[in-house]
Amino acid sequence: MKPASHGTTAGAAFTRLLQMLQPDLLRFACWLARDRSVAEDVVQETLIRAWKSREELKDPAAARPWLFTIVRREHARLYERKRLPSVDIDSVEALGDPALATEGDAGLDDLRRAIMQLPDEYREPLVLQVLGGFTTAEIASQLQLTQAAVLTRLFRARNRLRTIYGLAPAEDVE
Amino acid sequence: MSATDCRHARLHIGAAPHELPAAIAQHLAGCAECSRFRDETLALDARLRSALEVPLPRFRERAPRSRRLALAASVVLALLLAGGAWLVNPKPALAGEIAEHVTHEAGSWDKQQVLSPADINAVLQQAGVRFDTSLPVVYAMACPFRGRHVPHFVVQTPQGPMTVMLLAHEKVSARTEFSEHGLSGVVLPAGEGSVAVLTRNGTVPDEVAGEVAGAVRW
Repeated sequence: MKPASHGTTAGAAFTRLLQMLQPDLLRFACWLARDRSVAEDVVQETLIRAWKSREELKDPAAARPWLFTIVRREHARLYERKRLPSVDIDSVEALGDPALATEGDAGLDDLRRAIMQLPDEYREPLVLQVLGGFTTAEIASQLQLTQAAVLTRLFRARNRLRTIYGLAPAEDVE
Repeated sequence: MSATDCRHARLHIGAAPHELPAAIAQHLAGCAECSRFRDETLALDARLRSALEVPLPRFRERAPRSRRLALAASVVLALLLAGGAWLVNPKPALAGEIAEHVTHEAGSWDKQQVLSPADINAVLQQAGVRFDTSLPVVYAMACPFRGRHVPHFVVQTPQGPMTVMLLAHEKVSARTEFSEHGLSGVVLPAGEGSVAVLTRNGTVPDEVAGEVAGAVRW
């Protein structure tokens, strides 16, 4: 095989990988940013950075956590660079953000609103875990926290959401 | 059972219900209250996943900003050209329904025992399909899907177990890869119908997808 065609094949395979994971990247960015437009910017920057750094990805099976990490960094970078104001949950809803769109399931909408209203320190590890499939150890590494701190944040995040789901909250942890 | 044990267990359950240490699992075996808390939390988590997997309307097309580097714009353009219009197209509904169906039979991934040809044929006959694969089949079920009975298999591959669905009545025009509900998969045209192959680990290798598509006869 000629080197050029090998490069083309590898590039096409990488493109397919990005194509497959792009919806979850956008979802993750939406939950991080709580703003669809910002999320799209973050994902665009992520795709560009991933493409330029594609040689660093040795194992395609590791693509998902690798790309989620880039999304996190790009999100932080965007806020740092643009000094974006924090998002007000009421204004997000008023703009008809698709993340809050009604699908005829009021319970699900309530849960989405409740997730949106979680403080960043609780929402981010929860989204990394449930949507990203990260373990608590991986989240601790991502967020530069101890694993115990991650467990506490995840516990508190779910505890706040239990009431929305009609369950009694558990006793809080110290 | 001490209150401290229960508080410790509930911290772990509430934080990571799918990632419990052995000591907590042992505690659950003897504590009905914590077991109930675990069941509630797992039910909440299934709902949470649905809530987080928001449906995505069209990815908004946008003009490149002037500050963006020419290289960056060219990379996006290259991705668009190489991958078709995937940045601006929604995922096909079929892929989402397949992935959702598979998550409802998550126990099928844990099967280890290779099924006999008779077990496999019993499922194939219900759908009027032939499937001459060399891959070991460890799970076979004729599942209701879009108003039809569809053969749903789990096959063992060097990359781990993969789900195969033989979709005699779902014609697709081109290979489509997807990622839904934590699963990666591909839907391929196969004769008059299509086949879907899904995995929990990485992506579906081309050789596995090709083997499955080549093994089916409607």
